Amino acid sequence: MRFRDYLSLFLVIILGFIIFQAFDGTIDNGLNIKQFGEVNLSERTSIHYINKDVNNESTQIIYNESKNPESGSANYVTSIIANYRALDTLGEITVLFIAAAGLAFVLGDHNKNNAFASDASFIVKIGVKILFPLLFLLGIYIIIHGHLTPGGGFQGGAVIATAILLKFLAYKDYKLNHTGLTILESFAGISFLIIGLIGLYTDGSFLTNFLANGTIGTLFSAGVIPIIYILIGIKVGAELSGIISNLINA
Amino acid sequence: MILLTTLGYIMIILGSLFLLLGALGIVRMPDLYNRIQAGTKATTLGALSSIIGVGLVNPNWFFKTLIIAIFIVLTNPIGSHSIARSSYKSGLKPELQSEIDEYKPENIQDERSDLR
Amino acid sequence: MMILSYLLILLMIIGALAAVLFENLLNSIISLGLISLIAAALMFILKAPDVAMTEAIIGAGLTTSIFIFTLIKINRGDSQ
Repeated sequence: MRFRDYLSLFLVIILGFIIFQAFDGTIDNGLNIKQFGEVNLSERTSIHYINKDVNNESTQIIYNESKNPESGSANYVTSIIANYRALDTLGEITVLFIAAAGLAFVLGDHNKNNAFASDASFIVKIGVKILFPLLFLLGIYIIIHGHLTPGGGFQGGAVIATAILLKFLAYKDYKLNHTGLTILESFAGISFLIIGLIGLYTDGSFLTNFLANGTIGTLFSAGVIPIIYILIGIKVGAELSGIISNLINA
Repeated sequence: MILLTTLGYIMIILGSLFLLLGALGIVRMPDLYNRIQAGTKATTLGALSSIIGVGLVNPNWFFKTLIIAIFIVLTNPIGSHSIARSSYKSGLKPELQSEIDEYKPENIQDERSDLR
Repeated sequence: MMILSYLLILLMIIGALAAVLFENLLNSIISLGLISLIAAALMFILKAPDVAMTEAIIGAGLTTSIFIFTLIKINRGDSQ
């Protein structure tokens, strides 16, 4: 076994020990999950969200004028996805990652040919050449404006993946750089976790919004939400593109 | 402003008319190639003018509707071209027998063309 | 708007029945995409534009294409 294998075994053992500590009620060390009714709420993370008060702010939130409202995103769906329930979003991204990894495990042979026997016609090729940057730009726009308009990381990432799909449809020999995809994906996931841990360090709860919220409705507002959504967009785009590439080149 | 709004509504009505004509063409035409003709041309023009009309009625949305219109102009003909080409390649014959078939493989002279 | 929603729901039911009853699998996949598209329109009417966007892109675009690629793979495996 190489060093990497020993390291992963060590990490798995540590993780198992922590999970055992968390679910085993016999040892009381503050780490474990308590039974119903015995929980002291002031020790939990959720107290930060329970104590959050909307009414202390100005009751009228005016678009483009109000400064530092509770959660600074104009699109409240985004403030739920990327702020209040960001832990769930982390779980969703993990589910997507596991699906992509399973598909790559079964079908991940990149040396085989495309599913299509021949190239697409001349018109389709030229159309894709024009449409690909436009679609990519649309995806980036949707991701960046996730806290202002409907849409966000998941939708924008899917749009980017459809742009990649168009490339695959037009060119028979089109191949994705899977190393680059892996690097992008890992970077996005690790940055997501690091942002959560910074929130844990500064404000005392995981994935809390530790930056200033700014004026509602402007592009540079809502603190950490757009950063998280951009990372989600990168990760979802890379994963869905990887899924499509694996399916076509399998 | 009233002029813009009126123009916008006129364009929306015109666009719906073209969409109606396109739907009628899809029902009335004999085979796939004629249907795709009606469906693409009339539908592209109809969707285009109704979307631009919405942008004229509400001028805040004009640039976004313009972007949508550009997308429709680019994608709609390409899609119908692909449908027609794949149905020709899978051997669908036109309803009305015509003498000229310029898309036959032996009729294409240029060897390096990607049309094949 | 209510009439439009009922029409869309009726279309969705017809699409679902078509997806089940078609003999050709390609037709079934296309009617599944149609269902997703109509569902996206319905969600937009119900004032959930975020979900509508997701449904339109993933349901009508990506899922349909992934199903079609799988179908291509399966047919190729049969012929060999």
